[in-house]
Amino acid sequence: MSIERLYGAALVGRWRAGVALLACSVLEGAPAFFSGRLVELSVDKGFGVGRAGAGIAWLLAFAGVAVLGAVGSRLVWHRLGTIVEPIRDTLVRAVVRGVLHDANPPRNRPDASGVARITQHVEVVRDATAGLLVQARGMLVTTAAAMAGLFTVAGSLAWLVVVPVVLSVTMFAFLLPALATRQRAVALADEALAGTAGAALAGMRDVVACGGEAIAGMALYERVGVQASAAMRLARASALRTVVIAVGGFVPLLLVLATAPGMVAAGAMTAGAAVGALVYLANTLQPALHGLAATASTVVLRLLVALRRLGETSEVPPSRDGGAEPANSTITVRDLTFGWGAHAEPVVRGLDLDLTPGEYLAVVGPSGIGKSTLAGLLTGLLSPQGGRVLLGGARVDAVRPAALHRMVALSPQESYVFAGTVRENLALFATGLSDEDLLAVCRAVHADELVQRLGGLGAELGHGALSAGEAQLIALARVYASPASVVILDEAMSHVDPATEGRVERAFAERCASEGGVLVVIAHRLSSALRADQVLVMDGAATLLGRHDELLEESPRYRAMMDAWIGPVPNASSA
Amino acid sequence: MFHGKRLDRLMKRHSGNDCAGAAQAKCAAPALSIVSYPHRVAHRVQRGEMRAPGDRLLSEVTALQRGRMPLIVLSALLAAGSGLLLPSALATAVDASIAGARSWPAILWLLTLGVVQIGADVAGGILTVRATSSATAWLRRAVARHFLALGTRSGFVHGDAISRLTGDAVAAGAVVSIIVQLASASVISCGAITLLAVLDWRLALVFAGSVPLALLLARSHLRLTADDVLTYQQVSGEISARLLDATAGLRTIAASGTADREAARVLEPLPRLGAAGGGMWRTQARMVWRAALLLPAVEVTVLVAAGFGVLGGRLSVGDLLAALGYVALGMTMVSQIPLLTTLTKARSGATRLAEVLDSPLPHDGTRSLPPGPGTIELRDVGLRGALEHVDLTVLAGTTLAVVGRSGAGKSALAEVLGGLVEPDEGEVLLDGVPIAGVRPEELRAAFGYAFERPSLLGETVSDAVGYGAWSGPAAVRAACRAAQVHDLVVRLPAGYHTPLTETPLSGGEAQRVGLARALARGPRVLVLDDATASLDTVTESLVDTSISDTLPGRTRIVVTHRVAVARRAGMVAWLDHGRLRAVGPHDTLWAEPGYRAIFTDEEAP
Repeated sequence: MSIERLYGAALVGRWRAGVALLACSVLEGAPAFFSGRLVELSVDKGFGVGRAGAGIAWLLAFAGVAVLGAVGSRLVWHRLGTIVEPIRDTLVRAVVRGVLHDANPPRNRPDASGVARITQHVEVVRDATAGLLVQARGMLVTTAAAMAGLFTVAGSLAWLVVVPVVLSVTMFAFLLPALATRQRAVALADEALAGTAGAALAGMRDVVACGGEAIAGMALYERVGVQASAAMRLARASALRTVVIAVGGFVPLLLVLATAPGMVAAGAMTAGAAVGALVYLANTLQPALHGLAATASTVVLRLLVALRRLGETSEVPPSRDGGAEPANSTITVRDLTFGWGAHAEPVVRGLDLDLTPGEYLAVVGPSGIGKSTLAGLLTGLLSPQGGRVLLGGARVDAVRPAALHRMVALSPQESYVFAGTVRENLALFATGLSDEDLLAVCRAVHADELVQRLGGLGAELGHGALSAGEAQLIALARVYASPASVVILDEAMSHVDPATEGRVERAFAERCASEGGVLVVIAHRLSSALRADQVLVMDGAATLLGRHDELLEESPRYRAMMDAWIGPVPNASSA
Repeated sequence: MFHGKRLDRLMKRHSGNDCAGAAQAKCAAPALSIVSYPHRVAHRVQRGEMRAPGDRLLSEVTALQRGRMPLIVLSALLAAGSGLLLPSALATAVDASIAGARSWPAILWLLTLGVVQIGADVAGGILTVRATSSATAWLRRAVARHFLALGTRSGFVHGDAISRLTGDAVAAGAVVSIIVQLASASVISCGAITLLAVLDWRLALVFAGSVPLALLLARSHLRLTADDVLTYQQVSGEISARLLDATAGLRTIAASGTADREAARVLEPLPRLGAAGGGMWRTQARMVWRAALLLPAVEVTVLVAAGFGVLGGRLSVGDLLAALGYVALGMTMVSQIPLLTTLTKARSGATRLAEVLDSPLPHDGTRSLPPGPGTIELRDVGLRGALEHVDLTVLAGTTLAVVGRSGAGKSALAEVLGGLVEPDEGEVLLDGVPIAGVRPEELRAAFGYAFERPSLLGETVSDAVGYGAWSGPAAVRAACRAAQVHDLVVRLPAGYHTPLTETPLSGGEAQRVGLARALARGPRVLVLDDATASLDTVTESLVDTSISDTLPGRTRIVVTHRVAVARRAGMVAWLDHGRLRAVGPHDTLWAEPGYRAIFTDEEAP
């Protein structure tokens, strides 16, 4: 659902609160409707003819009506939270879901724009919605009530009022598109600023190391400057709007003042009626019109622009639906082909692979050759352009999502650690494990020392509290604890030292052997190949598959790779 | 005008230059001014009296607008003055109407006042926006400068830092506009009371009775809103930080199909946000109710009093209308009560900005670095929680590999060694000069850093490689060739000018671009912190050879997990739990089982 429709639906969803608000509006509009009329009566029937008592009585009636109006606005403000806050919640949810459902995020920067979106645009929508509900609705009610009141007091003058008001509102409507364009430019400038700031602040180590403070500052200054001038262009466009509306409110007053003397002199209108009409114009209609224009041009535009910007990223892709149930954890890959984009060189070409329960595969090869892509294909995150991946006999992209996620676990290079307890982080994929179970898992993947250092399972992890290596250990323990029988470690130990890596890999291998699962290790170091049952060498043009010793025997290229890694170590034997 | 402009010009002038690493001194000026200016801000802020840091910042921001102030005040006064004169002009015209006699002078006077008011409103509107946007820009520049000057020592999480730079700067920047609006509201209110008194002193007396009430109303309002506003901002910041955490783990989330659950985790504080928000509206409701009640009550009271004036012949019917107009104007102050919420927001925003600007900056060195071959000496260097008593010498032109288990302090050593982080104890010398005293920009030019996970900055690939060094296209290409990434870059849609955002790079590709960035600077010392970890061994040895070819004789410090790299290095520094366990050639150290255990998965004895 687009964000505009989501917003609309959320607004409609609060219709009960909306109806209540409308009821309050009737109360709120009462003073505007009666103001001129009651002043007219107090002059014509009271003060104007020497009857103070009657004059005061009519004015007290005015006071009573005003109390009603005040009650109305109190109710409006009080109920505002019941409409505005749920709408804000809906939008925050949509944006967060949209960001988290994005399976292909930018790779080398944190999505700082996601943060800017949630904090700024959502706040704009919240404030704008409140503004619309309070001001625009109030002004509309007041304008309508004042016009209606004017008809009751001096119907003959009404045309002098209606025509200029309608004219200026129409002109104002013509100005709106230009205003919208400029408002949008401001929003874009805001976002560009947040993006640039995010890149510099998140990459501060690199900025400092490069001595790039000046250039980072320049980039930020430029964004800041662009934002400021966009704000100015908007202000100039808004000035025109102010003129149009101010003239529209002022001209009726002049026209009535020029016309009324003749009518009073001719006896077509009482003095009280003239005063009453002017009360409507000067004290009610003019301020209301001003407010309406201010609200409409700033608030509505800000709302629309913010919603559109939110909408660009809050789209949640349709969830895959599949009903197939895999029979076991056998993985069969046939003639698999995948490339990024239509013209790109395929990263995986005609790959065949068979993994039976209990088997352990190491994938080795130069970086950027497509090892992570293979992980994406095996887990069903990516759809192949040719060939197929079968999990327990069923096409992996047709497996029921819940079953797939329960059965397959991926631990990527960039680990996910959230603010919460160590326990919560470890038990992300596994519910119902006791603390003993979790500690046993930590011992198995050699994360026990880390957990102890952090302060046990109950320790709270703050934002960014762990180093990359520590975060990877937590992520590995999490996958180890999960019920998944197919485990894919995609360079999941790149920040862990080789000794720990070896122990953790062995622990996963034992888990795989004892539970009849499948383990795929996308190797960060070639040592992984030594431990695996099968080795898949991905190297662009040629793909090799076999046991380590077979490959060492048969493939000179594999042998060269291994040599370059461990090398002929002359002094090793003398140790 | 403010200093940002000067800095802007400086930086613009330098951005056109193409000075590679060798000519680094030329580029010193912008870097220096960017670092030095916040010192001044912090200093000035410290000189302020006992006021809250946020308020001191707000008064400084306001002071910066003094050049624009006369015009803003003039337009505000014109608008207020014409607004105050309108009711009496209206009264005259109305009295004429009621008498049935059209008075052209009265109508013309009214027209003049109306035109002046509209004109002043429009001009004032544009001027205040200009003031607001330039104040916001100034605050953003100051905060950005401070964040950059704090560099790696910043204690602010970046999500929070971004929200300070984007959101809080806007709130605080509006201060001039808020003050002008509040001031003109009080001028209008006071003027209206005075004119009411001129009309009939009794009316002013009746009206004045309501003023203390209005003031009371405003004060209680300010107190009640502050807590909710602060809670609201805090919860909002917490959600941002959670979202940023989750975006780092997007692949895990996608693969496990837990997007909805993780969204729920990010959104966990949401009910508190709603509660704080609801509280803000309810507080508003109480205030609005009192204000809404107060205005008509005062209006009616004054009208009754004026009615007696009409009866007594002191006032005309038109004056009745004028009195009503003055009451409305007199109550302007009350109708501006929501501005106090905005002021509260501006103050809490300014407080958050002052927190940034008040965080002390390290003292940068001022010495310049004489040319030298690139010998590094570490004397009894200690870094809390990472390094202890490290004594180490890296001879010019040699390659030192730094090895050890994860958490042994390898990256800390790499950072301390080139001055990215200052050690808590001991000192680091480059060619005999203590680097702590060296001007930062010269220090950065002397050390070229490449990381395992580089953040690539700038707009395009070319920008990313030349980042901070102002390297020209030739230097960028040469560096990319040496880092074995040139072939990849030229195949991108726009080659070196392809925007980074449209360049999805794998870990190994990003590493090579990061490496090219270090090489492009032509530094005296190269520090490679596991910077080739994602490269295959063949590519890695190619990179190694081409670095030696393009930058011959440079000192190299290479943090590594790989035996082959350690073996190629002349010397190896072996770190264990933050201490230097041994320094020596790889072949000698290999005799130690504990050393071998770092590279293989054998347990250390």
